[in-house]
Amino acid sequence: MLLEQLINGITLGSIYAIVALGFTLVFGVLGIINMAHGEIFMVGAFVGVMTTGVLGWPLWLAFAASIVVTSILGYLLERMTLRPLRGKKGVSHLAPLISTIGVSILLENLSHHIFGAGNKPFRTEFAEISIEIGQVTVYIVQIVIFAISIILMIGLSIWLSKTKAGKALRATAENLETASILGVDTKKIITLTVIIASAMGGIAGILVGMAFNSVSPQMGLAIGLKGLAIIILGGMGNVKGAMVGGLLLGLSETFLVAYGDSGYRDAIAFIMIILILLLRPQGIFGSKMAEGR
Amino acid sequence: MVLDIKNVSKNFGGIHALKNVSFSIKQGEIYGLIGPNGAGKTTMFNLITNIFEPSSGDIIFDSQTITGLKSHKITEKGICRTYQNIRLFSQMTALKNVMVGGHSRSSSGVFSSVFRTKKQREEEIQLNQKAEDLLELVGLLEHKDTLAENLAYGQQRRLEIARAMASNPKLLLLDEPAAGMNEKETDSLYDLIKMIQSKGITVLIIEHDMPLVMKLCDRITVLNFGEKLAEGTPTEIQNNEAVIEAYLGKEEEYESA
Amino acid sequence: MLDFINPYYLQIGSFILINILLAVSVYVPLSSGQLSLGSAGFMGIGAYTSALLTINFDLPIFLGVLAGACLAGILGIIVGLPSLRLTGVYLAIATLGLGEVIRVIFVNWESLTRGSIGLTGVPQIGRELLNLVRGFGFEPSMIGLKNNQFVFLLVFILLFLIVLATIWFVVRQQNSRVGRSFSSIQMDEKAAESMGINIMYFKVLSFAQGAFLAGLAGALFAHVMGYISPSDFSYHRAVEILIFTVFGGSEVIIGSVFGAIFLTLMPELLRFVSEYRYIIYGIMLVILMAVRPQGILDIHLLGRFKGIKRSKGGMR
Repeated sequence: MLLEQLINGITLGSIYAIVALGFTLVFGVLGIINMAHGEIFMVGAFVGVMTTGVLGWPLWLAFAASIVVTSILGYLLERMTLRPLRGKKGVSHLAPLISTIGVSILLENLSHHIFGAGNKPFRTEFAEISIEIGQVTVYIVQIVIFAISIILMIGLSIWLSKTKAGKALRATAENLETASILGVDTKKIITLTVIIASAMGGIAGILVGMAFNSVSPQMGLAIGLKGLAIIILGGMGNVKGAMVGGLLLGLSETFLVAYGDSGYRDAIAFIMIILILLLRPQGIFGSKMAEGR
Repeated sequence: MVLDIKNVSKNFGGIHALKNVSFSIKQGEIYGLIGPNGAGKTTMFNLITNIFEPSSGDIIFDSQTITGLKSHKITEKGICRTYQNIRLFSQMTALKNVMVGGHSRSSSGVFSSVFRTKKQREEEIQLNQKAEDLLELVGLLEHKDTLAENLAYGQQRRLEIARAMASNPKLLLLDEPAAGMNEKETDSLYDLIKMIQSKGITVLIIEHDMPLVMKLCDRITVLNFGEKLAEGTPTEIQNNEAVIEAYLGKEEEYESA
Repeated sequence: MLDFINPYYLQIGSFILINILLAVSVYVPLSSGQLSLGSAGFMGIGAYTSALLTINFDLPIFLGVLAGACLAGILGIIVGLPSLRLTGVYLAIATLGLGEVIRVIFVNWESLTRGSIGLTGVPQIGRELLNLVRGFGFEPSMIGLKNNQFVFLLVFILLFLIVLATIWFVVRQQNSRVGRSFSSIQMDEKAAESMGINIMYFKVLSFAQGAFLAGLAGALFAHVMGYISPSDFSYHRAVEILIFTVFGGSEVIIGSVFGAIFLTLMPELLRFVSEYRYIIYGIMLVILMAVRPQGILDIHLLGRFKGIKRSKGGMR
């Protein structure tokens, strides 16, 4: 069913977009790729599983808990791994890459240790409820995921363009030195960026848990790599690019599984980026966060 | 003529960085390119070395068109340059910097390098010797094992000249070689450039230090807002109404800035 | 007698040597300023090529390994050419993506690769070598060794020679016109070009050399292990290889060697806390980057060692 696949694709795509936004915010402001983002997202998903499954909390409270935990992780990430590298002489662009890979290894194995290796189901009270519109079946979960993603994306865009902090963030993204001369507390903005990106990862974690009904320590890597592919696709540090890239990937994956060879599903993201890098290295939407919005 | 610039223009997204500029440089000359900031001098260097291609016009070197030739090919033909904002290989020693400069005049590949063939060994010895000679010429021989980044500013400028010289250029492009130098350093720079000229090398120089330019150059072209304002000997340029106006106008701006 | 020739230690030694090759395969492109995360993919190409050729066509291992390494090198050229437009993290992610695409192909091309189960019964170098020396009428017992001791010893020695030759090659190349071109491109690409260096040629050269080395290491890996599967060439492997190089110090080749040795041994040494070893590994990386972002070994440190040696512990 074409329409159903379209809905599936958009649902998946909007989750990807949220993951990619986390990468893109950090890249836009700090110019580094946060390799630990996928794992922060995975921790967020586990917080969701634990709070709803074990503690029996309602979903909204699970979201809140996940946001709190991942924000704290984001803060720690910035304070303990990123800040020590900033402005230090002789630090190449490899250092933050390796450092955040270190955090990702740490988090993945820590989760492995605490929660075990297997998949954990993510049950929501409305998981099985669907509505029929004509011949199309739409699950409530899909609507919830889509709605939350859209709200998040719109919220972020408004926050970036309208609020003082958002504008300061954009200024910092454009040029750190200029921003600090103009009186922006760049240290605070950077910390804020990493925290917001991580919190979005936490939300995305719960959304993925709901969509796939399963959570595992390895999911951070699988989804994280796709998030990376998306930001290349859409243009590094570009908010709109992350959204469009996410949707594009979600749709192509869904349609490949439905009408083609599902085995290559996980390769599409990378085939797409290899193509885009060859044809248009700056991504679909330019290169600067400030330009393409 | 060593270099013929023929009706060269360059646009960057609708902005004319250079508009229909022509001049020619004779063998063995020291030729000056001056003008206020933003006049298009460095752009001209970038066109000659084909970091950008001209939007229109031709650049002819040694009676061959070099427009559109790859940068490294242009170096092979015999044009080498220095940069306004020094671009040395900062983590290499002074000696190695100059040896890299000799790249286009040597030929060892992977095989001969790994197996140290006789030809390769001789070539390395020659390169090394040549680099030391050039370091001596610019007065840096005692610093040959110092990393480029640890050299003083004026020394870095001279090292850049030595590096460019290692490619045996017929035409040497110097982009503000005296920038940031004190009077004494500028004097020895003058001697150095004269010495380079005496070796039969043609020099095209961009420089803001007017006394140096007037003392050094045989002929000068003045650029202003991408257009050629005047051409002539130092005396002619100094007495040119348009030049005086352009410079005085600019200078007021400098002071107010 | 000769009990110290312990197959377990020799096996670890062989892994270390293969890992050194892999670390060098990242080091070489990095020496011309290119961060490649494609090593795992190229390694997979080398491994599968050699394994399939030797299994299906009875090709001698030696030729299979050579073919695997060459194919990886050729792929390196093909990929290297267009990737040249990419720098820094873009190249890193593109090559990482390439590795993932290669791995997914291994998983899905089941008729050839037997999918995620992988290939078993890959001819083992050790046995082949044993048969070879037996052909000359030599028996391990003649020097008081058991067969399996002797086999592991031979493999170790062979790999050691290959690693030695590789390092010799890279060091020689480094101290030459080619090596100077690599480092000048790494330091300032534009300036290098205006010194007459054909940056396209040298960048593809170093990228392809890295791919060749990774392919070589992969092919050797296949014939040492005897079985391979796509998961041997995953993202984790790519990251592991990168970390060898960066941990040890990416400015000097000895850094890659040290990184590979230390990080291969570390999980073995941490066996007593094996449950936590990757957690410790992660923390260690974070601390290292904060304290010594250029890696453990760098030019200054090596220079100090040399200085001490020269002046016999006196001044430096």
